[in-house]
Amino acid sequence: MPPTYRILPVIENRSLGPYTYLRIEDPEMLLVARCGHFLMVGFSSSIDPFLPRPLSLFEVEENSFSILVKVRGRGSDLLSKTREGENLKILGPLGTPFNPPESGVLIAGGIGIAPLYYQSGWMKSGKLFYGTKKKEELILTREMEERDFTVKTITQENGGTVCDLVRMNKNDIEGEKIFICGPWDMIRALKEILGEFARNAFVYLERRMGCGLGGCKSCAVKTNSGYKLVCQEGPLFPLSEVRFD
Amino acid sequence: MIDLSVNLSGIKLKNPVILASGVWDLPYREIIDFDRLGGVIYKGVSLKPKEGNPPPRLTETPCGVINSIGLENEGVMNFIEEILPTLKESNTAIFSNIFGESIEEFSKLSSLIRDVSGIEVNVSCPNVDKGGLLFGKDPNIVYSITKSVCNETDLPVIVKLTPSSANIVEVAQAASDAGASAISAVNTFQGLVIDIETGKPLLKRGVGGVSGPAIKPLALYNVYQIAKSVDIPVIGSGGITTYQDALEYFFAGSSAIQIGSAIFNNPLAPIQIIDNLKKWMERKGYKNLKELKGKYE
Ligand SMILES: Cc1cc2nc3c(=O)[nH]c(=O)nc-3n(C[C@H](O)[C@H](O)[C@H](O)COP(=O)(O)OP(=O)(O)OC[C@H]3O[C@@H](n4cnc5c(N)ncnc54)[C@H](O)[C@@H]3O)c2cc1C
Ligand SMILES: Cc1cc2nc3c(=O)[nH]c(=O)nc-3n(C[C@H](O)[C@H](O)[C@H](O)COP(=O)(O)O)c2cc1C
Ligand code: FES
Repeated sequence: MPPTYRILPVIENRSLGPYTYLRIEDPEMLLVARCGHFLMVGFSSSIDPFLPRPLSLFEVEENSFSILVKVRGRGSDLLSKTREGENLKILGPLGTPFNPPESGVLIAGGIGIAPLYYQSGWMKSGKLFYGTKKKEELILTREMEERDFTVKTITQENGGTVCDLVRMNKNDIEGEKIFICGPWDMIRALKEILGEFARNAFVYLERRMGCGLGGCKSCAVKTNSGYKLVCQEGPLFPLSEVRFD
Repeated sequence: MIDLSVNLSGIKLKNPVILASGVWDLPYREIIDFDRLGGVIYKGVSLKPKEGNPPPRLTETPCGVINSIGLENEGVMNFIEEILPTLKESNTAIFSNIFGESIEEFSKLSSLIRDVSGIEVNVSCPNVDKGGLLFGKDPNIVYSITKSVCNETDLPVIVKLTPSSANIVEVAQAASDAGASAISAVNTFQGLVIDIETGKPLLKRGVGGVSGPAIKPLALYNVYQIAKSVDIPVIGSGGITTYQDALEYFFAGSSAIQIGSAIFNNPLAPIQIIDNLKKWMERKGYKNLKELKGKYE
């Protein structure tokens, strides 16, 4: 299904841990959204901020979908402050969706939980390794357990990073398909730690985007076969393809 | 009946709204109805594929964007064999935008391209180490490139200028003297964004080209200066996001306009501009675009 561009109203804005959960009214997303999709979310009738922001689908329900926003700069701050009834410009769903396995390993760092939570809804069971800076930032662990995921968490204020968690539990990962979302440094470190398991690993990548639709060529990531566009061929890439040099 | 059609030295368009080079690619056909557009200019193609500059390549700036894409493209043969046939499915004028690192490359490119409404010669890209605006700043080089392109092709030739030249009117005049059918003005303005966490440029390449509403008054001034000095039509480009912006460009002397970065902010901007332009002209009692053009003078 091709993406669409529509102006849609926010119908719920609440906190979820340190993040903002925004629910947007839309009867159509459920028909078209698939695992791996993301959206470009723009500010209605505004040329400043000029660009829409790429955000993962977080939940898709019958008459609405939601996104989970971490405040980083001006755009995400404005998004976190949108009120119910306010409109957003939505372009999507975008990217190349994929069929996740029935079961597998998810590795999340911080807000990286957003697309992985959506992915877990397409799976039957699995394991989640999840690290954040602080304890209050750990969200959705109960919901993940309800989805038949074994959840292992770690925080930097108490124990270490998700990379340490993976290192300590490498036996649990053998033979499984692995899906990673988190900061670039975490991804790079995980590639080392996973060693030969990295062959079964896939990673959600983040790049600065202009259009989200393959037009501007801004979201290039270096791979073993040259630059690839995250908005077209991604956001999910095989970890072994991604170049870190 | 409002007549939005334009004739740019023989290039006939059903309306003056053209999708600018480098901001769109084929997937945009799913969002924008190309049949409604006056024309579309495909992204810059070179003789051989170019992989573009290392990322980050683009970021937001106040009321705009800065980019250093570096003309990532699959080469002219891919354009001819893969892209053009697909674009031809749409009922709109198709232009190709060409980029060479030497006069010879420009000639070769223009000898290969057929079956389009015109060739836009890009001598204004700020994001390459050879060619680009380094050529476009110099009226003599622009004259030579335009001349050799015009010698190689029977297609209308449009020369796209950089605002970085010391005297853009002189460069426009040189293109006109060499046989160009129209001028596109302007490409992006050279700019810089610094990441305060590192103290280094945010774009990996360092400098980039700024586009979007932030450059509109600057670009408009360039268009105004060119339009009052050269005889060939000017296609205005720079920061157009609404029909009001478009009107300013017509009043300043543009014969047609290009919509670039606006589609990032609102993919439907080109269509809305066409619709709203028509409504405005109806309201004001204008019948065609000639009545608006260059009213400023
Ligand atoms: C495919 C994809 C999915 C994403 N999903 C989520 C999600 O579900 N939840 C979430 O909170 N964040 C997500 N992000 C990251 C989110 O897009 C950025 O945090 C956001 O764009 C920052 O915007 P800002 O205005 O707050 O920051 P500013 O620094 O003010 O933004 C300036 C410009 O840089 C871009 N930019 C800045 N940081 C990033 C970044 N880390 N990644 C991409 N672009 C950036 C912005 O989009 C904007 O164009 C995703 C990114 C991508 C590429
Ligand atoms: C991401 C990006 C890529 C571009 N690529 C090209 C290109 O390949 N060839 C070209 O002549 N101009 C290119 N341009 C310039 C635009 O066509 C346009 O002239 C410029 O952005 C100013 O118009 P705007 O403010 O409406 O975007 C590019 C601009 C952007 C933002
Ligand atoms: S964001 Fe424009 S090509 Fe990917």
